[in-house]
Amino acid sequence: MSSIHKNPGNSARKNMYNRMFHFSFKSLLGIAMMLVLFSGNIKAADGAKLFKAKCAVCHYSHTDQKLTGPGLKGVFDRVPPGDWINRWILNNEKMIKSGDAYANKIYTENGKAAMNVFEAELKAEDVDAIIGFLKGPAPVVVVPGKPAGGTGTEGEEVKPGIEPLYLVLGIIVLLAIMITTFRSVRTSLQNSANRTEGKPESPDLTFFEEAKLWMSGHRRFVGVMCIIIGFIGMKSCWDACYDIGVYYDWETNKGYHPEQPIKFSHKIHAGDNEIACQYCHNTVEKSRHAGIPSVNVCMNCHKGIQEGATTGKDEIAKIHYAAGFDPADPNKWNPNDASKQHPLAWLKVHNLPDHVYFNHSQHVVVGKIDCAKCHGDVKAMTTVEQKAPLTMRWCVDCHRTTEVAMEGNAYYDRLHKALKEKYKGQYDVKFTVDKIGGLECQKCHY
Amino acid sequence: MKLNYNTIKAVSIIGLVLLIICGFMLNGKKDPNSPGVEFMPDMYRSPSVEVYGVTKFNGDDIYSTQFMPVKGTIARGYIPYAYPNTPEGYEQAGLYLKNPIASSAEVLAEAQLLYTKNCVHCHGATGAGDGKVGQKLPGAPPAYNSGTIKNLPEGKIFHSITYGKGLMGNHASILTTEERWKLVLFVQTLQGPKETAVADSTAKTTPAVAEVKKEEPKH
Ligand code: HEC
Repeated sequence: MSSIHKNPGNSARKNMYNRMFHFSFKSLLGIAMMLVLFSGNIKAADGAKLFKAKCAVCHYSHTDQKLTGPGLKGVFDRVPPGDWINRWILNNEKMIKSGDAYANKIYTENGKAAMNVFEAELKAEDVDAIIGFLKGPAPVVVVPGKPAGGTGTEGEEVKPGIEPLYLVLGIIVLLAIMITTFRSVRTSLQNSANRTEGKPESPDLTFFEEAKLWMSGHRRFVGVMCIIIGFIGMKSCWDACYDIGVYYDWETNKGYHPEQPIKFSHKIHAGDNEIACQYCHNTVEKSRHAGIPSVNVCMNCHKGIQEGATTGKDEIAKIHYAAGFDPADPNKWNPNDASKQHPLAWLKVHNLPDHVYFNHSQHVVVGKIDCAKCHGDVKAMTTVEQKAPLTMRWCVDCHRTTEVAMEGNAYYDRLHKALKEKYKGQYDVKFTVDKIGGLECQKCHY
Repeated sequence: MKLNYNTIKAVSIIGLVLLIICGFMLNGKKDPNSPGVEFMPDMYRSPSVEVYGVTKFNGDDIYSTQFMPVKGTIARGYIPYAYPNTPEGYEQAGLYLKNPIASSAEVLAEAQLLYTKNCVHCHGATGAGDGKVGQKLPGAPPAYNSGTIKNLPEGKIFHSITYGKGLMGNHASILTTEERWKLVLFVQTLQGPKETAVADSTAKTTPAVAEVKKEEPKH
């Protein structure tokens, strides 16, 4: 090092070092200042972020709307001035216990729903950031996935046109009128002609007598027509019999899909939001019935979500009415208070006659059958539609072709062994449902 | 009227026409709001009280879901939950309530299934609060491994699943006591290791801990 200093030619270099030092010092200063500025920016954004992470579960920031806690619009006008609110946010429990008048007032006003203590999670600056956010303007809310046009309901297309039945009836009535008028016109014309020619008046034949006369003149034609018409009639009656007791169109695979009391969409719930079928139909694994959820289950999410993507507030308000829930005062809601509740009359879409026993838990838990196998792609349905005919033939066909999932299914261990014994030495034996008694009458009818 | 050849012919023609009309009528366009023609309707709609059915009772329509069990009825195997739905009950549950089910790979696998069916849409698969529904709530649920929730004792977790907390609804109606305890075990795996040493011993499932648990009900 010393050798460098001794060298006079090095002075220029030294200068350069100096300059470089100055330059880097300045730039460092700049960077530091920018950091300070930036960190200020991060703070402001942090307020919103912190609010979302820590507070939004219970409070709306810029409205009066109550959630678990009160809406925070205008808090600063309500609460005692000074650092009261900072202390409250950090440890509300301590303040309530210390006997602070306002703290105890809001505690009782809000049904003694305790607020979290944030001392361990939030620093003093964090609280300031949150307060800064609350004092600032309301954040712009982007409603995701709002469809641009239409409500997204795939309503039945109403085709203008006349029902075939009315068309046929109309034609028959028209023909009858025409035949009677033409007949009377013809008879009176003929009679007047007869009178002028001095012939006796033709006898007044009844319709049937005349029809008989005409038919005896066209025997072959009448016979063929009778056979054709009879065939058409019988065929249409036969086809119609397929639909009795089965609400299902065999040609279009379209089934019963009634309008429900609430425009509940499986597409939004099970499809878009990926809620498992079993969350709402929670008895499907435990009981014969898959179960229609009680409103209490709807309220698990709709206490918070009060506006839907397609129908806005209208349809969700119906759930609140049914549950006896007042969105203006959520803490008062008691799920067990039946006096304010109103039953929802959902329409049963998949209906089996009373003399058929069907058990969901048996099919889903033991048989490991997927919901979609019988109910179709419900996750894509706006209104639920019967996708399978639900006839006995349909049941039996499936029992004949479906192999029982016996491997690794403790329920079948004993039976599996017995069956292996029974069909020993035979190849290609499939243990379908009918092999284990799936076609016995009294399994389903008793 | 004397039955002769003509009347038979006429009657058969009218019969044919009626047959066609009948066929058309039954085959006509379907109303999506109608369940169609029922063969023997009293076999579809029985006079006995059916699940979700509507029954006439003293002249009023009564929905079977409105019927409450007789006061004081207790389902078989049901043990009432001792802690009230109050902040004090929450604290007490946190102190005294212990999990009667020991953790094992089997139980955890079962619990994970339960969690996917009942909780994922809000809490997300990893418990980070990023479920599709959770994101749509006014505030997303807190991550299990963050803040105070990370050290939440099992009693409080059970209490919150049973009664609900804040925006989370009560899940006692759809999950049995046993299922809820299994879920507690799974939530604990998502919480990650506890920060305090004392709480740590309960999270592990050594045989010694299982023995301690057996003694719990005594007090
Ligand atoms: C409707 C969406 C939703 C569902 C479904 C849901 N949670 Fe929550 N959960 C929340 C919200 C929101 C919170 C935060 C509540 C608060 O602190 O105000 C929460 C909080 C919790 C907590 C912390 C409670 C406490 O004492 O701080 C636990 C544990 C929990 N949930 C477990 C579960 C389990 C297990 C399930 C499945 C049975 C479940 N949750 C289902 C929304 C949900």
